[in-house]
Amino acid sequence: MNSVELTVNTRAVKKDIEPRTSLADLMRDMLDLTGTHLGCEHGVCGACTILVDGVPTRSCITYAVACDGADVTTIEGLDDDEIADELRAAFTREHALQCGYCTPGMLVSARDLVKRLPDADEQQIRIGMSGNLCRCTGYVGIVRAVQSVISERRARDIAPEPDGGRKVLGPAGSGHATCVSSQKLAVAKPVVHAPSEAVAPLDIPDFTPSTTLEQQFTVAHPSAKVFALFDDIAAVASCLPGATLVGTPKPERVEGAIRVKIGPISANFNGAARVERDEANLSGRILGVGNDQRSRSTTQGEIRYRLVPLDKGAATRVELTIGYSLTGVLAQVGRSGLVRDLAARLVAEFAGNLDRRLSGDVRSAPSAAADLNGVSLILGLLRERAMHVVRRLTGRGGSA
Amino acid sequence: MRNERDLSSAAPASKQGVGARVPRKEDDRLMRGRGQFVGDIRLAGLQDVAFVRSPLAHARIRAIHIPERYRDVVFTSADLVGIKPIRAITGLAGFKPSDQPILATDKIRQVGELVAMCVAPTRAEAEDIAASVTLDLEELPAVYDMLKAREPGSPLVHEHWGDNVFLESFFELDISSALDAPIKVTREISTARQCMSPLEGRGVIATFDHRLDQLTLYTGSQMPHIVRNGLSDCLEMDQGQIRIVSPDVGGGFGHKGILLPEEVCLSWLTMKRGFPVRWIEDRREHLVAAANCREHHYKITVYADHDGTLRGIDCEATVDSGAYSSYPFSACLEAAQVVSILPGPYQMPAYRCRTYSVATNKCPILPYRGVARTGVCFALELMLDLVAAEAGLEPGVVRLRNLVRPEQMPFDNITKKHFDSGDYPEALRRAVAQIDIDGIRARQRKGEKDGRLIGVGLSIYCEQAAHGTSVYSGWGIPMVPGHEQATARLTPDGGLELKVGVHSHGQGLETTLSQVAFEMLGVDVAKVRVVHGDTAMTPYSTGTWGSRCMVMAGGAVATACHELGERAKKIGAKLLQVDEASVVLVDGEIRGPNGSVTLKEIAHTWYRRPQDLPGDVDPGGLEATSGYKPQRDSGTFSYAAHAVTVAVDPDLGDVEILDYVIVEDGGVLVNPMIVDGQIYGGLAQGIGTALYEEMPFDRAGQPLNTTLADYLLPGPTEVPAPWLDHMETPSPYTKFGVKGIGEGGAIAPPAAIGNAVNDALRSLGVEMLQSPITPRRVLQGILAARDAERPAA
Amino acid sequence: MKPAPFAYERPRDIASALAAMASSDGVVKIMAGGQSLGPMLNLRLVAPDTIVDITGLAELKHVEVAGNELVIGACVTHADIEDGRVPDVTRGAMQRVASAIAYRAVRNRGTVGGSLSHADPSADWVSTFAALGATLSLRSAKGVRLIAMKDFMLGALESMLQPGEMLEAVRVPVMSASARWGYVKSCRKTGEFAHAIGAVLIDPEAGRARVVIGAVEAAPIIVENAEELFGGRIAGDFKTRFDARVADSLLAKAGMSDAADRHIHVTILRRAVAEAAA
Repeated sequence: MNSVELTVNTRAVKKDIEPRTSLADLMRDMLDLTGTHLGCEHGVCGACTILVDGVPTRSCITYAVACDGADVTTIEGLDDDEIADELRAAFTREHALQCGYCTPGMLVSARDLVKRLPDADEQQIRIGMSGNLCRCTGYVGIVRAVQSVISERRARDIAPEPDGGRKVLGPAGSGHATCVSSQKLAVAKPVVHAPSEAVAPLDIPDFTPSTTLEQQFTVAHPSAKVFALFDDIAAVASCLPGATLVGTPKPERVEGAIRVKIGPISANFNGAARVERDEANLSGRILGVGNDQRSRSTTQGEIRYRLVPLDKGAATRVELTIGYSLTGVLAQVGRSGLVRDLAARLVAEFAGNLDRRLSGDVRSAPSAAADLNGVSLILGLLRERAMHVVRRLTGRGGSA
Repeated sequence: MRNERDLSSAAPASKQGVGARVPRKEDDRLMRGRGQFVGDIRLAGLQDVAFVRSPLAHARIRAIHIPERYRDVVFTSADLVGIKPIRAITGLAGFKPSDQPILATDKIRQVGELVAMCVAPTRAEAEDIAASVTLDLEELPAVYDMLKAREPGSPLVHEHWGDNVFLESFFELDISSALDAPIKVTREISTARQCMSPLEGRGVIATFDHRLDQLTLYTGSQMPHIVRNGLSDCLEMDQGQIRIVSPDVGGGFGHKGILLPEEVCLSWLTMKRGFPVRWIEDRREHLVAAANCREHHYKITVYADHDGTLRGIDCEATVDSGAYSSYPFSACLEAAQVVSILPGPYQMPAYRCRTYSVATNKCPILPYRGVARTGVCFALELMLDLVAAEAGLEPGVVRLRNLVRPEQMPFDNITKKHFDSGDYPEALRRAVAQIDIDGIRARQRKGEKDGRLIGVGLSIYCEQAAHGTSVYSGWGIPMVPGHEQATARLTPDGGLELKVGVHSHGQGLETTLSQVAFEMLGVDVAKVRVVHGDTAMTPYSTGTWGSRCMVMAGGAVATACHELGERAKKIGAKLLQVDEASVVLVDGEIRGPNGSVTLKEIAHTWYRRPQDLPGDVDPGGLEATSGYKPQRDSGTFSYAAHAVTVAVDPDLGDVEILDYVIVEDGGVLVNPMIVDGQIYGGLAQGIGTALYEEMPFDRAGQPLNTTLADYLLPGPTEVPAPWLDHMETPSPYTKFGVKGIGEGGAIAPPAAIGNAVNDALRSLGVEMLQSPITPRRVLQGILAARDAERPAA
Repeated sequence: MKPAPFAYERPRDIASALAAMASSDGVVKIMAGGQSLGPMLNLRLVAPDTIVDITGLAELKHVEVAGNELVIGACVTHADIEDGRVPDVTRGAMQRVASAIAYRAVRNRGTVGGSLSHADPSADWVSTFAALGATLSLRSAKGVRLIAMKDFMLGALESMLQPGEMLEAVRVPVMSASARWGYVKSCRKTGEFAHAIGAVLIDPEAGRARVVIGAVEAAPIIVENAEELFGGRIAGDFKTRFDARVADSLLAKAGMSDAADRHIHVTILRRAVAEAAA
């Protein structure tokens, strides 16, 4: 628990909260100011918009501890506000609300726009209100209402304030150091909920990969030596970036994990693989499945290989077919987009590692893998998907 | 025609009655943050629920591992002893029922399906517990494509069916007469799966009152009485033991019109644990797990003569109904509707249509604003423009050639839909004139300075609304509307309370029903309270759906107020000591030949000074519950013509709406301001369908757009203010001549915009036949057409 | 949709922030404005053990013009730039970029440093600062190192930032009087992330041009000496000299195999060039 002091609707408030408590949840659950609504909890819809230090802020993605000492105004605090009053009259006249769920956030944003915009330009109002979604009104009444209030105020010679009244630099709500004696707050050790059992999957089922990539390369070694390498599961794993093995690998079951880190997102897929070999055709496959418990995501992958003797057995062409699928939370955001391009590069790295390993460069293979920033072959898809999550949520220049 | 009304009371349009732009009574509390939505309700001891949901679309559950310390706060299907699955059947021949488990039992059939329920003092802690539960699942091949799902050998969602088809519906008239038509256009057209996305998601609080021996469920619902029916079935409890309260609701659009497994879960949990429990749907749950809508596919052929006269339509349509039949509308309402409404407002001699309601490993579908009409209108209206292009005619000309004409009203079309009234050609003519098609054609010939391509599109539809018993008994679904009832009660101080079983969540019924009461009784709108959203306080109703409230609840309120007025007249006549036949009710008072007495005085006498009443007074008093049905219950037919001009950027594929015109006829308008608002809002959702909204799935049945950064809802810069014109052809069958209009705005935009885009792209040989029309789809179409044009090397 | 629990620290100064990053157990994440991190925390895509909040540090909210450079502290917000609370050394270019980032409420907390540290390819500042020729100052316990923005991004969400290192300031060169700026991005709706970005800084008098093709799902494509995109020579007629085929082949070389994607990026770049010429 952390203690936080705020001024909320002109009243001083002090609460003990968890660091993960958003400003919105603090308002709603602890202060019963339920006019602040949650519509998406990821900063897109605008229903939770409130004033922090006088300017509009997303209260769903702003944590209360980060605003310690700040001045907060919710819709309830705008009861007697002059601009809000004018907006309310205009909203009801122009039928700018239906279900009313977006309305508190809409009014907070509209109030800010009324202060800042020099004139009632319709397009500027639409752009200015674009961070607030309304599913009912088609925005017609909202835009008209905001237009009318701006026009009336400018006609009354009330000058715009282009900065909305903010004069200091930095994030709204930040920098109110006076209310805490020590800047280094007591660290509340978070409750760690270890998953009940980090079980490796029982079965290693066959599957149809959602993405398949092919890669081939030639090494100056006889096929038998290459074939033997593919039998050395630890060696193959060492060429897979991010992979670690657990216990003694056996062909029918190899247990291990693959760790991947994409920006701030990390996943650790615990799993198992089995190895099939066809000596007669110098081919085989490695088939694996892994779960990331935290994100409830599963990846399946397979590496098929076929060896073709060249130059009278002196060299070997290695033909790789690599396929993978991803399901679960990490798969549920975004389209695969340019997966193939990205994954193809990773397959090339894997192939390069194998090549180096076959050339006897045992030490360089793992380190080459590490150079991939922990991105693994099988997780090429994950990487792309996860990147997509991040990009979708933040690809608007937002800050980390 | 404007403001032409048929008011039996012959009152001129008053400032508050039918036809007045009365500001809404609802607004003030909502604008001050004092609305009360489910999430705003506080009960002592309330705990929060989070669910463990399936990460897979299709799987067998091998095990659910619950950490030892959470054994008593995590619940699975094994705990729900005696709880019945949700079952929404239809009476249609060949329908295959599905059982929707409350918590998954042996098999999972959609991503997001409920597997376990976790309860804790806060939502965050409940989510922590949910995260600690691990699932051991055996993944099965997912049924992710409704067309592939129909093929033999497809994996099966419900194995015991033998296939994946909930229901096959068809309508068949001999179409052989059409086959020699000189114009024959065949296309495949489809609309994407969508999420309704009201700004407020679903939410449930359940609590049990031992004194009343009653479960109270606070739930954001469009149809509280229907929730009670379904809940009573699943829990096997008497209806009297269940009270459903639907407080302020942040938008419905259909999403809040079904019984949820979560509602059943929480009801069970509060009775099991003895404290109130709450679950609030978050946005990811909404996008991943909640019911979807709109996913249609059409293979359609239109036959026509050179002059554009329709000779016939032949269509095979498929609707992706998802994994389960949702309660009460069922998995088949949508596809079965396609069959009956595809001909739209057009006349044709031949028609054949076969539809399939297909089960897939996706969320169940439910009827979204416009229901099947949005898809049907998209398919048919796109086809009409292609016919027009083939015939070398303006799209408006082809439509005028085939639209039902005013002198034919009332008109029974080829599928026996009964069009009550209207002048469809006039609506179209006005829209065509207003959008200035001639001007656009001239502009197209000249070309745009910025290189964009201009196009114009039309669409017209009819919206059957407030259809009742005869229609729904035919579907045989769990919900058949009968007489709509309302209670009107004068309070001792002369105010009026209205109680209705429908629910208002943005439609402004608290205002419009008060206007109806004012029209009938002359009670000031400010003195009327509308009570809704509580099964304990309101008459039974199927609730708010199908654009029915103004017709049905409005009619019921008028009927109840009329009866109340009659009773007041009797009392008034006694008090005035004149014959009952000599008094009239005008402006809130009973007037006799020699004087008058106000309703307020009558109420005061009845309640507070009964000693002043004569001994033989009617004991019915000043509270009346009355039922209403229109003279025909086949529905009102409102309609609109939409016309739109777009500019397409051929280098990026972006579509900008330059101008939008709507000419609408919703019969007599009770509050034109609110009607305008419904149309504007419908248009915004229609633009979402046309250009932005889509829930794609991968081959594993994983939903991919699971945040609002991916699932794009139109914002202020994406929705223009349309030019709006009203015609007011009264319905001959309803009180005041009103028609239902709530859904119409969302029906026509995808078709109009699609036609406009195709008009813009015609010179490039590109056709967009799939919604949403995204920049990528447009650009890929353009690039493909360029490649095709390039001579082979 | 609530975050997994985390511990929170608000250090007194940069030194204690660096110390906190080094001393905390488990995964530590710096939070500036939190407008990117917040959504990911709420969705539980990210679950750090500790969050170090640097928004209270006055040192990071400092702005000054030093010589030929504007130095912007990492915790300066998009709105600070939009509103002109930061001196304008780019003749309004940065102000215009800032005003079109997401939405006002996000701009009121989202910071320049947070955005860059996040290294999101579609973030506006990633492309803008690369085109402006900015330098980043990175601080760790070992001291400060300067990295050119063009070298900072290694890939999507991958930057030069090492563990224990944080972005301290951005140094933006004063734009020369003869330089021309163009910035265009493609979004499906207002405030949505960019699907393509074109950023160009062209100085016809000096015969120089820097061109950035951004939002390519990887580090932006940066052409420091962009003569090849303008027929070998940068002059006053650069708009007409722009060669889309060269841009297309740059994208193809960078691995963008989808023709529609390349078409969009080339179109946006052409429009950025046209804006610079206008």
